[in-house]
Amino acid sequence: MKWITGSPAVRETLRILLAVLAALLLGFIITCLVSKDPLNAYRAFLFGPLSRLNRIGDWLEESISLILLGLAVSIAFKAKQFSLGAEGQMAFGAMASGVVALFVPLPLFLRIPLALLAAALIGFLWGALPGYLKAYMNANEIVSTLMLNAIALRLYDYLLIFHIKPPGAGYNQSDSFPEEGILPSFMPPLPFWEETRRMLTNQMNLTVMLYIGVAAFLIAYYVMARTPFGYELRMVGENIKFAKYGGINTKRTIVLVFAVSGIFAGLAGAHLSLGVHQKLIANITVGLGFEGIVVAIMARNNPLFVPLAAFAYGYLRAGADIMERTSDVPREMILIVQAVIILLVTAEYVLPFIKQRIVKPEDSYLAEGDRYAA
Amino acid sequence: MTALVEMRNIVKVYPNGVVANDGTHFSVMRADIHALVGENGAGKSTLMKILYGMELPSSGEILLDGKKVRFHSAHDAIAAGIGMVHQNFMLVPSFSVAENIVLGQEPLRRGLVDQKRAEEISNELANQYGLKVDPKACVANLSVGMRQRVEILKTLYRGAQVLILDEPTAVLTPQETQDLFRAARTLIEQGKTIIFISHKLNEVKEIASYITVMRAGKTLGTFESASTTHKELARMMVGRDVLLETNRSSSERSAKVLEVKNLVCTSDSGKPILRNLSFNIYSGEILGIAGVEGNGQTELAEVLSGLRPAASGNALLHGKKILNQTPRRVREMGVAHIPEDRLKNGLALNVSVEENFIVDRYFHSPYRRGLGVQYKQVRALGKRLIDAYGIHTSSGAQMVSSLSGGNMQKVILAREFSAEPRLLIAAQPTRGVDVGSTEFIHARLIEQRSKGAAILLISADLSEVIKLADRILVLYEGENVGIFSDPARLTEETLGLYMLGIQKQTPEEMEAVL
Amino acid sequence: MPLDLVLRGIFSAAFVASVLRISTPLILPALGGLLTDLAGATNIALEGIMLVAAFSGVVVSAYTHQVGLGVLAGIMAGMLLSAILAYFHLYLNTDVFLAGIALNIMASGGTIFLLYTITGDKGASSGLASGMVPVIDIPLVREIPFLGTIISGQNIFTYAAFLLTAGVALFLYRMRMGYHLRAVGENPEAAASVGINVKHVQLAAFLMSGFLAALGGLDLSMAYLTLFQREMTAGRGFIALAAVYLGGRKPWGVLLAAILFGFADAFSNQLAPLKIPSQLVQIIPYAVTIIALVLYAAQQRARSSGQQRSMK
Repeated sequence: MKWITGSPAVRETLRILLAVLAALLLGFIITCLVSKDPLNAYRAFLFGPLSRLNRIGDWLEESISLILLGLAVSIAFKAKQFSLGAEGQMAFGAMASGVVALFVPLPLFLRIPLALLAAALIGFLWGALPGYLKAYMNANEIVSTLMLNAIALRLYDYLLIFHIKPPGAGYNQSDSFPEEGILPSFMPPLPFWEETRRMLTNQMNLTVMLYIGVAAFLIAYYVMARTPFGYELRMVGENIKFAKYGGINTKRTIVLVFAVSGIFAGLAGAHLSLGVHQKLIANITVGLGFEGIVVAIMARNNPLFVPLAAFAYGYLRAGADIMERTSDVPREMILIVQAVIILLVTAEYVLPFIKQRIVKPEDSYLAEGDRYAA
Repeated sequence: MTALVEMRNIVKVYPNGVVANDGTHFSVMRADIHALVGENGAGKSTLMKILYGMELPSSGEILLDGKKVRFHSAHDAIAAGIGMVHQNFMLVPSFSVAENIVLGQEPLRRGLVDQKRAEEISNELANQYGLKVDPKACVANLSVGMRQRVEILKTLYRGAQVLILDEPTAVLTPQETQDLFRAARTLIEQGKTIIFISHKLNEVKEIASYITVMRAGKTLGTFESASTTHKELARMMVGRDVLLETNRSSSERSAKVLEVKNLVCTSDSGKPILRNLSFNIYSGEILGIAGVEGNGQTELAEVLSGLRPAASGNALLHGKKILNQTPRRVREMGVAHIPEDRLKNGLALNVSVEENFIVDRYFHSPYRRGLGVQYKQVRALGKRLIDAYGIHTSSGAQMVSSLSGGNMQKVILAREFSAEPRLLIAAQPTRGVDVGSTEFIHARLIEQRSKGAAILLISADLSEVIKLADRILVLYEGENVGIFSDPARLTEETLGLYMLGIQKQTPEEMEAVL
Repeated sequence: MPLDLVLRGIFSAAFVASVLRISTPLILPALGGLLTDLAGATNIALEGIMLVAAFSGVVVSAYTHQVGLGVLAGIMAGMLLSAILAYFHLYLNTDVFLAGIALNIMASGGTIFLLYTITGDKGASSGLASGMVPVIDIPLVREIPFLGTIISGQNIFTYAAFLLTAGVALFLYRMRMGYHLRAVGENPEAAASVGINVKHVQLAAFLMSGFLAALGGLDLSMAYLTLFQREMTAGRGFIALAAVYLGGRKPWGVLLAAILFGFADAFSNQLAPLKIPSQLVQIIPYAVTIIALVLYAAQQRARSSGQQRSMK
């Protein structure tokens, strides 16, 4: 047993796996309570995403959104900034990229990059706002980001209904984007795999966002672990007083943390409009607002593990969708599973044999003598 | 005569394997002042926490008045008549004195807290034991000495027969210390028993009738205060001979490094913290700042290191303005700062030792090249500093939180000294550090001085200031009330009069020394 | 003249009465947030507690046809959620923000999940006949012009909100437990050193907080409306938290702050005749909350800097 519990990395992984398993078990118990056919419902939930090619496509597509959102949240949480603003940033990202896709007459290879840039920029700016309020006005970021989310969603609705929706349309949504405004398939049209490509693109909607997601992950990792900004971000998160004392401009760092986090959320929004829906629809962010949190927590705020966590969690979400479609259990069960995962992973004392630290540094004066003794 | 408190064979092993007490014996007679001395980490605090019910011993027994007792919480200990005055006071700042005294056992009237009664109780206690306080005053506005009185009254209200005073004089002026000692003698006359924890040997010999020495979790013995010498006590505490004097090579005053003129600093609400402060520090000089804590020392260090804005005045470092600059800018001009509260400000605990070294230099070469931080260079720096400063750690990648207090302080010293400062601000550099590390730190400060650095030494430990400083400036309510050029001829008592604002130099007298 | 209509609307007794009605589901959770905040922990899960209470109240009252049982069920459910949060935070050492966020997610998902399981509808509980708490007409007072319309004819939760503000004030500043609660929040070590069980006090604060937030949730589903809708709390739990700060962490201040938010909300409803798109008008209360947050923080900064010094 010692070799298992010895290394902290192994302990953490084990801990997270156990938390996920416990959450899934609870999900199963709930399913048994409400479903007439719990076994089939749960089978659909657990194995559905792999059962058909198009379902694998759905899973991977959603995982890309989750990678971006998970990175957005990890960056903020690593700096101990409890930003919950991803939803609003995502809505604006979707709107900005959608407007470019619809109205800017450029060819595909210019229009898509411009749309992505617009999404990143608006995410950056809308993210910087609560960062500024926190750093310079000392306004609690949890409340401010939630309020800004509410504002962003209403502005999104307003713009969509009053300015973008074609007159006379029945639904509150835009026209479908033109070909030049839609993310192309992840396989470039090369002659030697034309056959495979046609087969795959018919079945799954996997776009170049896959590469952007991978690039985003690599950049985020490099920035956090290897750059001066990453160092500043981590020091602010570990001990902001130390950071200030050491000469780090903590206020600027906080604003940047929120803003950089917003870039990733904005890109997730662009993925929704340019890739997933290929038009602007009402409630485009629905259900994704807080999903970045569970991904970040499963990855312990380390960008390195975000893709893994995103694929794992995306799988569960995709499974929940299939379960809702094929059984009598609603997909919201996944939210309960999600909440349990967050609770179990973040509870330090839940799995005592893999408890990390015994003397916590925050234990202030009472434990100080002991620490010196050690 | 049997002992009132007797602790036999106490063993305490913490879950992380640290042995704090290792078969400790300790006994105290009734109506006696008994001192418990030892270095930090010797196990004094743990032993007292066990007596006060805050920790359970792993084994061993406690006898109170000959009867075996077992305390599971502070509540049990309080009920048995044991009271403790903690080093950092256990008071609620926004509550009144009376509310603090009765907290936890408030007098009730018709189910509601009876404030009037609480005030009466406070007055009665204050009169009985000669510890005057204003029951209605808000604790947040009280001086440290007053707060300590409130703490003592609190334990007396709970019927304490045995009072544990944990380093009670660490934050007091010599005069306040004398007040405390007078109060302690009054308490003894009224039949109370006092356990006095300290590592100041002078005081211990003055107040206590018996002294118990602890080292490495064991008691080395109990001695009659009158028949032991400082040297013997010190040797027992440390386990070897200690140099009670630091060799100081007198240094020549040379170039002016820092010039502070009419420095004024106010709190955000407009309350003055530093009033018209002027002084100079020269290359190769240690200027000591003496004063009761809370008279502007903390703020002085913060203002000079860029962590706090100044309202007016000027401070020039080699002729360049350093007030109201960012901490980064100030550091770049050659200021290093050993902060007062190292755990809060000086370190990031859950970060590697190496990354703690680079907070002031990660952004320039050789640690940064292009977009990235050069971790190869960071590791090399880590190795170099760990060796040079004898920091006990398995590698630079180790988290700081796993180091001992003395080693944590060395991490800070290593970083700040290696920046080769022109001005070094050292705030409480040896607080909470054991005697061995204190010697090391003093030696390093003197080494920096001989390299030509100007050092501003802020310390609550008067003997430290007298020992190290070339000149001493006394701060009282943010004002310079006296400056002395020959510390060797000063006594703690003289300084105390200035620290309390009873004496003040005239501008002419100061001019002569400035 | 739409502007005329708007002005006439605002200066009417009916408008003031509606401000109180709209403020009620903010006052109650804000008082709950105040208690945990003073005890040294932030109850981020107010939102989820309200949601769960609102849902349980509707379902139980619909099935039992007993309003009282519905209210009781709502309170129990809210306190249970709060107890879970307290347990994770106090005994399992979970970060209170993350645990609170998790419980909000669970409340949001769980209520929709159960709503669908029970009614087959994911939007609202229109199929269920929810009970409604009584509205109280006060004889004589009712007859007073202007004031009568405001004071009389409100539902019991609105009266409860004001009475409980007084109750919380009495509790905090005159009762032993209230002293302990404030001491625990300000200096837990000091409280522990005189034998106060810090965790028990904080647990009690969470339970009371759950009780108060649950009343706020029940007000939404059994008085303000008489049905449950998904996400019907719409951020009120968080606005309540902002009211705690804006109100200076004092019971009557919190009450006033919550009424200010209620006013902003009611005011935005009154703007309808001006033909401003409703989405834009709906932004007002959220924007007010952010402004209030900034104002509170500024005031706090000025105050704490004075205090910190004297605490040394």
